Amino acid sequence: MISVKNVYKNFGPKGEIKVLSGTSCEIKKGEQVVIIGPSGSGKSTMLRCMNLLEEPTYGEVWLGDSLLTPADPYLHPEVIMASKTFEKMKNADPDREDADIIAEIKAKDLLKKHEGKAYRAALKAIELESRIDINLARQRMGMVFQHFNLFNNLTVLQNMLLAPVKLKIMSKEEAEEKALALLERIGLLDKKDEYPSKLSGGQKQRVAIIRALVMNPEVILFDEPTSALDPEMVGEVLDLMKQLAEEGMTMVIVTHEMGFAREVADRVLFMADGVIAEEGPPEELFTNPQNPRLQQFLQKVL
Amino acid sequence: MSTAWNTFYRQFFELEGYKNFLVGLEHTAIIAVCGLLLGLIVGCLLATCQMLPKTNGLIKALSKAADVYIALFRGTPMVVQLLLIHFVIFPAIGINIDSVIEAVLVFGLNSGAYVSEIMRGGILSVDIGQTEAGRALGLTYGQTMLRIVLPQAIKNVVPTLGNEFITLLKETSVVSFIAVVDLTKAFQNIANSTYEYIIPYLVLALSYLVLVLLVTGLIRLVERRLRASDKR
Ligand SMILES: Nc1ncnc2c1ncn2[C@@H]1O[C@H](COP(=O)(O)OP(=O)(O)O)[C@@H](O)[C@H]1O
Ligand SMILES: [Mg+2]
Repeated sequence: MISVKNVYKNFGPKGEIKVLSGTSCEIKKGEQVVIIGPSGSGKSTMLRCMNLLEEPTYGEVWLGDSLLTPADPYLHPEVIMASKTFEKMKNADPDREDADIIAEIKAKDLLKKHEGKAYRAALKAIELESRIDINLARQRMGMVFQHFNLFNNLTVLQNMLLAPVKLKIMSKEEAEEKALALLERIGLLDKKDEYPSKLSGGQKQRVAIIRALVMNPEVILFDEPTSALDPEMVGEVLDLMKQLAEEGMTMVIVTHEMGFAREVADRVLFMADGVIAEEGPPEELFTNPQNPRLQQFLQKVL
Repeated sequence: MSTAWNTFYRQFFELEGYKNFLVGLEHTAIIAVCGLLLGLIVGCLLATCQMLPKTNGLIKALSKAADVYIALFRGTPMVVQLLLIHFVIFPAIGINIDSVIEAVLVFGLNSGAYVSEIMRGGILSVDIGQTEAGRALGLTYGQTMLRIVLPQAIKNVVPTLGNEFITLLKETSVVSFIAVVDLTKAFQNIANSTYEYIIPYLVLALSYLVLVLLVTGLIRLVERRLRASDKR
């Protein structure tokens, strides 16, 4: 469903803050994946790269067969082979294996922006075939934020209707029917005409979750959905998420709720220093951690 | 004092000084209101130029141009801009239009520079999470701006825009430099023709005060309306 391929993300005017350093992961349809890791390890950045709220510096992100980022030449050997650099190195030493040349070009980061016609044509071909408009892709992936981010100038119902109606995903009647059913389900039907400021944190986050659901997304990304909540409200939000998981919604969840991870996750990814340092099913990862950073981390949080 | 009052009364009512006053009032109002409207349009355009995501060269150039524009108009006095337009720029390029329209143009272009800063501040004051939530749902940058960010930004800037309007209103008193009869000029004429200054200038001050109080009340009303539509 979502493939993150060798993604780097640097921040700062000169890219001097290196946050993701070549991360890859694959989220399968119907899977619930939990991402854990110390603060500042790049969990949010990784999640936000999945729907391009952050644009990766290098690497590719795919949603199914659709490429969301520009094509990264280093992930497509045929592009490198069409480049001048490759030609030059091949001419200098015709006996060398193509694979070795590609490896050297990759290792030394030798591709420049303007690499000749054939190179550009090869890149373009990949993008033409697979790249889709990011706004279309985002309609297929929901996102739930730590600080809810409900639209303050709209009522609860308007919050839920804006995107599906404006983007013509469904008719107004259809969207309204769906939204009301979802509000009923979470027991907040009577709040439909309230502004977000009138809701408690737990209510806000549950509305944010069903706002994403109205769009019929293929996957929902959660960035620490319970971290900004008072303790007594964490349960109601996690319960709703558990229900979604049971219904088979594909979910990627950054969280510090280890109990929840254990119960719900098919797979847990542990991030440290901008890479996925270890991954596996929750029982394995929690009971028999291999990576010393993970052992340290678990000691602190469990 | 009573002779002064009688002189003023005679000049104002019997010798039809009030006609002059009405013309002046009309010009002051036209220049302030149209100036602000033009300023709002120019200001929003400038702010847009500066705030669009800088994805290509054209947008970067527009943003730079907006910076220069704002620096120029904020860096020189309004009177100087008025004089330059009236006596230098328009004659040089052969434009010959009503001085009131010239004044509207100058006030609009000038206040555009201030409005753009106000709008920019208003937009920046809206939590970035609002934009992110909109974009994450698949809304375009424009849709997110129009439906989510701008409504919240405008609510935040109404008081500041109101101040800008009041400043503009009072500053219209410099248009007599290009021979427009505004409120100030009207009372100056009355004073000059009677050699009696106290009453005309007191009434002049009172006129501005009443105008400003009216505008202030109007702004309060708008603010209250906005707040009522969304209790936060
Ligand atoms: N927009 C940004 N500009 C500069 N640095 C950033 C930005 N976003 C994140 N970072 C930095 O990247 C690192 C990882 O951030 P984040 O992905 O939020 O970590 P996590 O979610 O795991 O706590 C942090 O050190 C943070 O300061
Ligand atoms: Mg985070």
